[in-house]
Amino acid sequence: ALPPSSEAFTRLSPLLPKEDGSEMDVDTAAPAAQVSIKHGLPEIEIYCYLLVLIFLIDHKKYDEAKACANSSIARLKNLNRRTVDVLASRLYSYYSYVHELTNSLAEIRGTLLGLHRMATLHHDELGQETLLNLLLRNYLHYNLYDQAEKLRSKAPRFEAHSNQQQFCRYLFYLGKIRTIQLEYTDAKESLLQAARKAPTAARGFRIQCNKWAILVRLLLGEIPERTVFMQKGMKAALTPYFELTNAVRVGDLEVFRAVAEKFGSTFSADRTSNLIVRLRHNVIRTGLRNISISYSRISLADIAKKLRLDTKTAVADAESIVAKAIRDGAIDATIDHANGWVVSKETGDVYSTNEPQAAFNSRIAFCLNMHNEAVKALRFPPNSHKEKESAEKRRERLQQEEELAKHMAEEEDDDF
Amino acid sequence: MDPKLVEVTQLIDRFKAAFKASNFDVCSTLLSQLKVLLTKFPSLPPVFQQTPNAVEELKLAREIYEQAVILSVKMEDQDAFERDFCQLKPYYMDTCGIIPPSSEEYPIMGANLLRLLVQNRIAEFHTELELLPAKALDNAYIKHGVELEQSFMEGAYNRVLSARQTAPHETYIYFMDLLVKTVRDEIAGCSEKGYDYLSINDAKQMFKFSSDKELQQYIAEVN
Repeated sequence: ALPPSSEAFTRLSPLLPKEDGSEMDVDTAAPAAQVSIKHGLPEIEIYCYLLVLIFLIDHKKYDEAKACANSSIARLKNLNRRTVDVLASRLYSYYSYVHELTNSLAEIRGTLLGLHRMATLHHDELGQETLLNLLLRNYLHYNLYDQAEKLRSKAPRFEAHSNQQQFCRYLFYLGKIRTIQLEYTDAKESLLQAARKAPTAARGFRIQCNKWAILVRLLLGEIPERTVFMQKGMKAALTPYFELTNAVRVGDLEVFRAVAEKFGSTFSADRTSNLIVRLRHNVIRTGLRNISISYSRISLADIAKKLRLDTKTAVADAESIVAKAIRDGAIDATIDHANGWVVSKETGDVYSTNEPQAAFNSRIAFCLNMHNEAVKALRFPPNSHKEKESAEKRRERLQQEEELAKHMAEEEDDDF
Repeated sequence: MDPKLVEVTQLIDRFKAAFKASNFDVCSTLLSQLKVLLTKFPSLPPVFQQTPNAVEELKLAREIYEQAVILSVKMEDQDAFERDFCQLKPYYMDTCGIIPPSSEEYPIMGANLLRLLVQNRIAEFHTELELLPAKALDNAYIKHGVELEQSFMEGAYNRVLSARQTAPHETYIYFMDLLVKTVRDEIAGCSEKGYDYLSINDAKQMFKFSSDKELQQYIAEVN
């Protein structure tokens, strides 16, 4: 395999298993080694590291993979070549992945931070983006949303995200942070963008994006359409969320509680259980809205019964909840405390208000935004386009000039 | 290391005695002395060196900060609470493997959640909540805070006002008083929009004032 004089060989060979798997690896290492003997490029070495790492991960030998990853990171720290950057960023991702699989993410946080610092100093954009995403993933894994947000706000941002994959990941993590911080509009934008830009092959990623997007929409008070749940390949994973949406749409606390319990394990696996708890408030709000639309006057006791508020002070609770809803503008009504009922106001003609205008405005803004982003995302290949053109054009031009010259010569003859 | 540990333990005992006697000035001075002594211990965060006395030192340090937190509540100093709690948090988060969990951990975490709620920092409330493990939600102290936040969000303010009676820890009473004031402001805002007409008695009941005079005082303040 690699020349015995190379340290890498001594480090890599104990990691290779002794069974027939090693033959395959030796074969791939052999041609690589032959090239490296001639050129002695560190890229080859890093590439070998990468291959061995992927191989070990595929065979589920996580401890050895961890050792390999650690040694490769140590090797990378000494290199400062732009050509290694692409391979290096892949190595970082696998390094983080291996540690995640062995549950030791906290250990590498310091290393990742150091690498990020180095990448920024070297103006290694790809490495910076990758490492930022890996760090965010690290923090979010341990629910350290505060620190993740601090890192994200301070780290240098990239306007022209050349790498779509990293951009998608960044948007997803950003969306998650914003959701936990209760900024639902920003979160919705980021998550939906991430889900749209993700390649169709990344089904697991898109499922996750969609789950969070659905929850954020519910928290914002809008009901996602049925088509969202019926997307190809995602139906099974999104079923719990579908039932949850139904419960919120109907506004029934009882059903909501039942669904939350039934799918409790799925939600905690997705780490969305805290968000589900927040939804309870939305369920009540929707129920209240339905009631106020259907009844012109209804007693508070009946409201409490319909909303299934099952505490001892249900009527007083209902009163306070209705009062808050009125103040927040969710329903249009007045409470008559003496008689203990709620009187709904007349819903006027919507078109006479500014609402259609506002709705149009937001849609137009969205389309224009999309147009701008599409234009910005157009990337012309730097010079190849011009080169080809000019070669052809030159030929054409020369041809045309010849013809013109001939023509003019004939004309002159004719004239004379 | 040992003489230092002994000294610190002695000071802590004096602190506790003064605390029981409600002698808060003495407590504060003793606390500052204790904090200075703490800087001599090498095994504390953020350094976390592995010395043989590490366990003892960590336990002592944690106890000191817990006492500091409780003192700040008694002295009604919210900034001091925040500072001491920030210093206390790494002890709870990172030292789980090294020292046994403290009995005051959950009450103090619950008090912190309450403080964030009172100061209307709901985003931070939720981020803190995320940090807690799932089984922490069953703990009475944490559950108290979470339910309060829910009632607050939903608008069931009467539930909040009655929860004051069920505060599980004496440190909570201070925060509950602050919360009551916030809640009353909210109720006033809602009632303004929601009711065309409300009798004095009904208002008294809603705001949970105990007498007409308090109600009049409150109306005068708000207007």
